[in-house]
Amino acid sequence: MPNATALLDNDLNFISTSQGWKTLFSFLNENTKNNDQLECFKANNGEWFDLLTNCLINGKEISYRCAVSDTTILKHILWTFKPYRSIEKKILGIIVTAKDISETFERELQIEKLRTLLETKSEISKVGTWEYDLKSNKLSWSKMTKKIHEVPNDYKPDVDTAIEFYKLGHSRNKISMLVHNSMETGNKFQERLQIVTQKGNERWVLSSGKPLYKNGKIVKLLGTFQDIDEQVKSEIQVRENEKLLHTLVDNLPLNVYIKDIKSRKILVNKAECDFFGASNPNEILGKNNFDLYDEEMAKILREEDLQIMKNQTPMLAKEELLRKKDGTEVPLLVSKIPLTDVRGQTYALLGISMDISTLKEKEHELRHLIDVTSVQNKKLVNFAHIVSHNLRSHTANFSMLLEFLTNEKDESEKDRIVKMLSKASDNLLGTLDNLNEVVKINTNTNVTRESINLRASFDSVHENLIALFQKNKVQYENTIPKNLNVHGIPAYIESIILNLLTNAVKYKHPNRNPKITITAKKNENKVVLSIEDNGIGINLDKNGDKLFGMYKTFHDNKDARGIGLYISKNQIEAMGGSIIACSEINKGTTFKVYLNEGY
Amino acid sequence: MRDIKTIFVIDDDPIMRFGMRKMLSKISIKSEVFEFNNGQLGLEEVMARITSNKVLPEVIFLDINMPILNGWDFLEEFIRLEIKERILINIITSSIDPNDREKWLSFRAKTNHHIDFVNKPIYKIELNDLHKMDLAS
Repeated sequence: MPNATALLDNDLNFISTSQGWKTLFSFLNENTKNNDQLECFKANNGEWFDLLTNCLINGKEISYRCAVSDTTILKHILWTFKPYRSIEKKILGIIVTAKDISETFERELQIEKLRTLLETKSEISKVGTWEYDLKSNKLSWSKMTKKIHEVPNDYKPDVDTAIEFYKLGHSRNKISMLVHNSMETGNKFQERLQIVTQKGNERWVLSSGKPLYKNGKIVKLLGTFQDIDEQVKSEIQVRENEKLLHTLVDNLPLNVYIKDIKSRKILVNKAECDFFGASNPNEILGKNNFDLYDEEMAKILREEDLQIMKNQTPMLAKEELLRKKDGTEVPLLVSKIPLTDVRGQTYALLGISMDISTLKEKEHELRHLIDVTSVQNKKLVNFAHIVSHNLRSHTANFSMLLEFLTNEKDESEKDRIVKMLSKASDNLLGTLDNLNEVVKINTNTNVTRESINLRASFDSVHENLIALFQKNKVQYENTIPKNLNVHGIPAYIESIILNLLTNAVKYKHPNRNPKITITAKKNENKVVLSIEDNGIGINLDKNGDKLFGMYKTFHDNKDARGIGLYISKNQIEAMGGSIIACSEINKGTTFKVYLNEGY
Repeated sequence: MRDIKTIFVIDDDPIMRFGMRKMLSKISIKSEVFEFNNGQLGLEEVMARITSNKVLPEVIFLDINMPILNGWDFLEEFIRLEIKERILINIITSSIDPNDREKWLSFRAKTNHHIDFVNKPIYKIELNDLHKMDLAS
């Protein structure tokens, strides 16, 4: 389109207009004359007329843009006012050129809008941009990019200073490499890195760049620069919190797990893994009660899980004995807490349980210790009674005899009393020996126990008793298997055997020859030794409680000292065993010795 | 005061029996003292005397810890016997077990015989000791 040009005289009247002018302004009114058109401009824009007048006076060229419109159409016009002069330089008038820049204007407006939009966006998302021109080695930053670097708006970056903003070490090395790579090979990049701003603040940024090609050659690098500090920091925070929680849960000395509504494990901690002997959580995850426990146990647990999830009431610190698939039983203190979603529906079950086997063991040990202690205590009280009684009776005798001696005049009677005193002294010594033996047995409980062949022990004792047995015509039968061993203290075992065998002879029936039958049975590890005789027997209804007591004798037998069975019982108990007797008057007595208890 | 003709000493300790005999000899009474090694022998003699209508002892000295039949078992049997006479039984013991004292009291309450409880040692027996029940009755 030819230029729209109008020629004005120095009174600002239109002398002539080009065809282009006419076409451009045809929208105003086809019938209006040139002057009228001018009037129209004047009316529309006082400034336009003023500038025209200025040009006429100053003689300077003026560019001016303004819109021209009628009621429906609006055109943006770029005006150029250029004075023309006579040969004497006198201003004769003005050449007015009008260029329709509506389109450009619209585009500019659009760009302006976009820029504003972009700025707003970049402001909100904290995304800045940068551009690096390889040829001129010029780097430019957007406002936002500068803001992120905390530099003033007039800051002029260059490549070196830009890279120096990155934190020394990984970030700086990385960005150098990425930029270099991008320029060399045209790779795009996007990386989270740390910068140190002008003001010295550390900040996480997402830096990205890509090359711009021209004729197949990289001419520019363009990129964005985003402040992701808050995001990264909160991510780090979340990760740290998560890690803390994980570390906490994993290192708790408690089994922690979460089960889904089908009782399948969806989270397990280390303790829970250890509990099932799993080296990796994946070995347990996804498994339900039936996979982990035997069926009977699993049914109970499933029912319990269902109840808790259904009623949404937590189960707290309940003691349970859990039986694993391999049959091992473990006492646990179990809490199960239902987990509900926002709608209040149960979606999982949080389980926390503590292995209390060591606690239980300790409790058991303690209870055992209390039992042992109370037994010992009873024994002690009993022994104290024995000691006091026996010693008292001897001292009473001494006291009485000494009193006699002091008042006795008769010499032969004095001699008699002294003999009595000496006998009393022997008795006291005997009693002390017996008591000492009992004390020794009860304090030597730590004597090392050995494996003892029972048959061999009997044979050895029997050998020493052969003379006694022959004299009394004893019929002796021993059916103890040759390979039967017991755990005990050899000296005690022999002393017990000796005592029981001699008793069997001592209390033989006057009308028949003694018959002694020895048998032994091993049940699991426990050994029951039985020594049966056909002697006179004991009335156990009457004397059962005293049979194994100290200085209790039941027969008018001059050899009875009332100490043998008491010592045997103490020896057997010191080895952790027990002894009982069955007897029938005139038929015989059977002693049963239980050994190896607890082995 | 009635005469004391017969005294039983039931004790398994020969020293004690010697001592009792000696102490009884100090008080000038014309009594016959019989010694028994245990309760069973003492009881058998009492029962034999009842069946043969012989005199029963007026006083019995009784030990507690004895073989075969101890003092308590003797008493258990003795108080069941049909004896018209009131007999003085002196329990002589070295026991300081409170249970033994309680047993004594319960026997004492159960029988018409007079039962005493004396802790060893004893050095002397007074004539009055043998007539206690006369005073009591």
